[in-house]
Amino acid sequence: METGSAVTWKYPSCILKGDNSIGEFYSIALTNNYQQADTGTKMIHLGKNTKSTIISKGISAGKSQNSYRGLVQVHPRATNARNFSQCDSLLMGNQCGAHTFPYIEVKNKTAQIEHEATTSKIGEDQIFYCNQRGIDPEKAIALVVNGFSKEVLNKLPMEFAVEAQKLLEISLEGSVG
Amino acid sequence: MLTIENLHAQVEGKQILNGIDLDVKAGEVHAIMGPNGSGKSTLSSVIAGHQDYEVNEGTMLLEGEDLSELAPEERAHKGIFLSFQYPVEIPGVSVTNFIKTAINASRKAKGLEDMAANEMLKKIREKSSLLGIDSRFLSRSLNQGFSGGEKKRNEIFQLAMLEPKLSILDETDSGLDIDALKIVANGVNKLRSKDNAIIVITHYQRLLEYIVPDFVHVLFDGKIVKSGNKDLAIELEEKGYDWIKEMA
Repeated sequence: METGSAVTWKYPSCILKGDNSIGEFYSIALTNNYQQADTGTKMIHLGKNTKSTIISKGISAGKSQNSYRGLVQVHPRATNARNFSQCDSLLMGNQCGAHTFPYIEVKNKTAQIEHEATTSKIGEDQIFYCNQRGIDPEKAIALVVNGFSKEVLNKLPMEFAVEAQKLLEISLEGSVG
Repeated sequence: MLTIENLHAQVEGKQILNGIDLDVKAGEVHAIMGPNGSGKSTLSSVIAGHQDYEVNEGTMLLEGEDLSELAPEERAHKGIFLSFQYPVEIPGVSVTNFIKTAINASRKAKGLEDMAANEMLKKIREKSSLLGIDSRFLSRSLNQGFSGGEKKRNEIFQLAMLEPKLSILDETDSGLDIDALKIVANGVNKLRSKDNAIIVITHYQRLLEYIVPDFVHVLFDGKIVKSGNKDLAIELEEKGYDWIKEMA
């Protein structure tokens, strides 16, 4: 969960050294105003039958730039390594940017690597729909953003998920334009 | 309930509505028909307060209160509900979560506390059974992967939950097969009361066989060119819209 500083580079990573070890990375990175974030992870598969999952949700608002940069590396002795990566980006307005840089380095033929990426934009029609049901624009954006981040928020302990949801709302305050 | 006088409206500089007069009283059902491009959907968007539409003349009053300065959500709080022709998808937000948020937003605007969870649950059960909606449907993401029938049924479910004073059904029959149409129409009929009013916007007479209107208006070129009772809808079905165009 990242709502951080003006410029953020952050790549918390896993070295999957032991056989059958598992690494999971779930993140939500939100940028607003002029923030720049370049965040992601490295999954380094060394052991046999190692598995990793990456779910990254990037939300860009204002004039911010939000990048996902992730490395999935499968070493020669890591037979039957598996990875699944999913990077979803959500844009608000037309002055922000979202970027996805997946690096995949595989040196073992038995590896199975999957990467999925999507980019979507909060639509005015979505906001109007919410408004028509009595939900004001700010709350409407929070609703769409929470829905977008749900897969990750669901992984968090309940107390933290509630905090995280609030944090998203605060970070997006004033971004309705 | 809703009084519209001499309403003119434009979108992106294009004049669409050219002087609409409409008076809808509590307990009434009005049907608005007309050919493509006559301004039917524009009228519903203008009443709901869509920002892309600019009213350049005329007035809209809901129970005597001027709507023109109110934001869409404020109009919703006053009891206006629009059943969308193309309901939007909101991934990750369940039908239940969405309707809870909507109900509590309206309650908050009225200075009320959030609805108690058990009360909400009871209401959701009651209204969903009215429309034959099962509980699995309620946990799906709003409109995502819904069939045409499911989308429209979900609109009527929201209508049932929000209990608006004035409901506008914008082409609720489009994309529905006959069975889905019956379910939706039955749902609407069960919600009719002497205190609320309904405007049904449609191309075809078919829906009006199930939701019987008190008045039928024909919209052409941004104006109501003919009004009558339900027989007018049948006449239109037989003759088409050409004679209306010649008249206008």
